[in-house]
Amino acid sequence: MRHDDLPRVMEALKPPIATFVRESRVRIVLLISGSGQVLAQHGFTRSYEVMNVASLAAAAHASAGALAEMSGVPRWKHLHHAGQERQLFLAPIRTPVGELILVAIFDKESSLGIVQLFFEQLGNTIRLLPEFQQRDGALPTAATFERDLEAGLNRVLPEAGEA
Amino acid sequence: MSDILSQSVDRLSRVSGVLGAMVVEADAGVPVVAEMTAGVDSGPVAALASSLFRRTANAATTAGFGAVRTMQLEADHGHVIVAGAGELLVVVVAERNAQLGLVRLEASRAAEALA
Repeated sequence: MRHDDLPRVMEALKPPIATFVRESRVRIVLLISGSGQVLAQHGFTRSYEVMNVASLAAAAHASAGALAEMSGVPRWKHLHHAGQERQLFLAPIRTPVGELILVAIFDKESSLGIVQLFFEQLGNTIRLLPEFQQRDGALPTAATFERDLEAGLNRVLPEAGEA
Repeated sequence: MSDILSQSVDRLSRVSGVLGAMVVEADAGVPVVAEMTAGVDSGPVAALASSLFRRTANAATTAGFGAVRTMQLEADHGHVIVAGAGELLVVVVAERNAQLGLVRLEASRAAEALA
């Protein structure tokens, strides 16, 4: 995903993310690309929180992938952590142009089953978006992670540069 | 415990007109044991039925009616019946012409056995 594609991609993701938030009743959502670009968010108020969660989600995703591979499991569907008050759901969305990572945090207003259900629908909707149909040849690398993270962050939270 | 769950679901599934039955973890809304006829996806039904039951229970409590024991949803082509069993729910999907009295009775019995 190229830098100049970012505004178009983020605009295209707004409706499906809004639907996901409304239907699944999650409190916080973050959608990042495999290289750490922040593509959409809901519920965050501070840029450093987005940055921290994006970095940790990318790391957790990579760790879980490595663990799955070591265990002979080629792919994993989602990670779920049930806390006392809040629960964390982290899952990859596979698209023709690469993998996205969704992080959702929910409380008693929702449930794992509901989040899973609407996550499936979100994935199907995103895969059908024209922005996720073609590969442009610019594969993400570790070196682009920080630059992409900053670029995405500046767009979802304009005050990010001042934080 | 898993034997009791399986037996409950198996017994419910054999009632005339029942398309499927399952035991669902109430808070998570995910199936624990399920027997569904082809074409009925247990995951979405479990998620939505448990969410609906939870909200109905909240409404009943707010209205001062106490705990909800069973919930019955009637649609154009069938019924969904949910019976509370503590941390579990018994969810039954039945055809429109199913013997609802028997289905409800069996669902309640299963819930009592699991609670």
